[in-house]
Amino acid sequence: MKLRPILWLLLPAAVLLAGFILAPSLDLFRASLFDPDFTMQHFQRLVDRGVYLDVMWRTIRVSLIVAVLCTVIGYPVAFFINLQPSRRQTLLLFLILIPMWMSILIRTYAWIVVLGRDGLVNQALAALGLAQEPVQMLFTSGAVLAAMVQILLPIQILTCYAAMTEIDFDLIRAARVLGARPRQAIARVFVPLSLDGTLTGLVIVFMLSMGFFITPALLGGRQDTMIANLIEFQVQRLNWSFAAALGVVLLVLTVAMIVLLRGAGRLLARRVLKGGL
Amino acid sequence: MNYTRFVLHAAIAASLAGPAAAEDKVLTIAGSGGVVKEITEKVFIPAFEEDTGWTTKFIAAESNIMLEVRTMLASGNMLYDAMEVSASNYPIGVQEGLLAPIDYALLDPDNQLPDKAKKEFGVVAAAYSTVLVQRLDKTPEGKKMQSWADFWDVETFPGPRSLNRQPQYTMEFALLADGVAKEDLYDVLGTDEGLDRAFAKLDEIKPYIPVWWTSGAQSVQLLSDGEVFYSSTYNGRVTKLQESGIPAEIVWNGGALHTSYVGIPKNAPNYKEAHDWIRVRTMRPDLEIQYVRQLPYPNFAPGLFDEMSEEVARNMPTYPANAEVQFVAYDEFWAANIDRIRERFDEWLLE
Repeated sequence: MKLRPILWLLLPAAVLLAGFILAPSLDLFRASLFDPDFTMQHFQRLVDRGVYLDVMWRTIRVSLIVAVLCTVIGYPVAFFINLQPSRRQTLLLFLILIPMWMSILIRTYAWIVVLGRDGLVNQALAALGLAQEPVQMLFTSGAVLAAMVQILLPIQILTCYAAMTEIDFDLIRAARVLGARPRQAIARVFVPLSLDGTLTGLVIVFMLSMGFFITPALLGGRQDTMIANLIEFQVQRLNWSFAAALGVVLLVLTVAMIVLLRGAGRLLARRVLKGGL
Repeated sequence: MNYTRFVLHAAIAASLAGPAAAEDKVLTIAGSGGVVKEITEKVFIPAFEEDTGWTTKFIAAESNIMLEVRTMLASGNMLYDAMEVSASNYPIGVQEGLLAPIDYALLDPDNQLPDKAKKEFGVVAAAYSTVLVQRLDKTPEGKKMQSWADFWDVETFPGPRSLNRQPQYTMEFALLADGVAKEDLYDVLGTDEGLDRAFAKLDEIKPYIPVWWTSGAQSVQLLSDGEVFYSSTYNGRVTKLQESGIPAEIVWNGGALHTSYVGIPKNAPNYKEAHDWIRVRTMRPDLEIQYVRQLPYPNFAPGLFDEMSEEVARNMPTYPANAEVQFVAYDEFWAANIDRIRERFDEWLLE
């Protein structure tokens, strides 16, 4: 029985997860269904009122857009870093990590300074004579998207980069030896091999976006409310059971979307590996 | 075990574990932060500590004090002895049984406080107003807003505006803008047609409100940054805004006059001493005048207005000329109707 001592290594993590993730999650389910007797009224309210479904749909949509934008911007950056000499790679990765040391709250506030009516962008527009009146950028969906992408981009870059360093460059050399032009070697060997890591990054960014709270609260208008904002709002209103129901829905939606994205990703990967891009 | 409450409670307990926690005779008082905290600590707390020999711990509970109290009650460990109770929180505290009744025989044996200062679960600590504030450097040349109807008039007064993300008083302002007399506000708001009318009026202004504020501090920040030109806010915050050089002016007409209270949470560890604090906070005109000079939130300390100059009095929400044009916020109406209206209001905001 060599396994047993190894299993002990998992004990601290298991205790932590059971005590601080599993038990509160179960309590969340309980709170959403018992108030104090068993009731479906909180879920009923969610379904009956269109506004809550709108918020859920918006949360999924915004998260998807952010995940795709982070991938589109992040993948080429990771590719570029991967091609640099190793010392420069370290420097570039360091630069990308720096903003992650700052709290999300501070990075969000920084956007207020940039996008406000008297902010940097409006000052620049006025100085260049491009706008007579200040442009309303704060408290719009665009502000929320820009900030979320900026905050989550390093995660996607690092995930893509990690996947790319795993790729054996001899395979690309082999493709070249066998007559592939550089672009073909990238498209048919490199990209398919980095696909799985890229999709993982996309799912991570999506997952984090689903729970975003501070950024839409500070930079968005009332039409940019996401599920997390709704939960906070209901907690403030002391509607804990309804807040719990929203929490359950957020959890279920996120898990469902992850399964869906992974499934779609796997299908895509299979096709890419078969036929190339 | 209820984990949500446990974790919340642990978080609050951790935030309270300061150096004073080790001492014995400590009265823990919760209230709003900012200027109120600053002045309370300068004026009332030294007087209380001198009178009683107790020390105090003042906790700034800015966002949702009722939520904290509810959590502490649920966890069986009340950490506050006395607390500020705002006009809108008072009915919640009463309804949910979060407050202990005031013992007036203990607090005021000689019956000095006027009746209007005394509530079953709180003593009036301050009167304040929710008023319309305008930035005079952003209004069109030579024009000033005079009423809520002007706030709704986006032709004459263009520019971004803000209102409170709470239906309380926001609904009243809409009805005033729609021409309802202030005497009739709550009669109109109490009917379904009246409520529809208020929402219809709010529909008109909705596109011109990029942001709905959720705290007094935020409303002032928005005005200060120039993100909005006009907003409802609390009158006491305007003084600070003006001191920082922003040309802000209060429109008293159509303001909501509120009274806030000092109360005792249920199961407070030092119920009797909390009354000593309430006495210092609400019945000492010599202290209250110092407070009022810096923050125009007067209470009913016996003999207070005798000590005031005309100039100070004119900035008071209870100054006759100001009080005359305001309506008295009717807490009991909101206590009875808040659930119905708030749910609709919240969903209206999301639409």
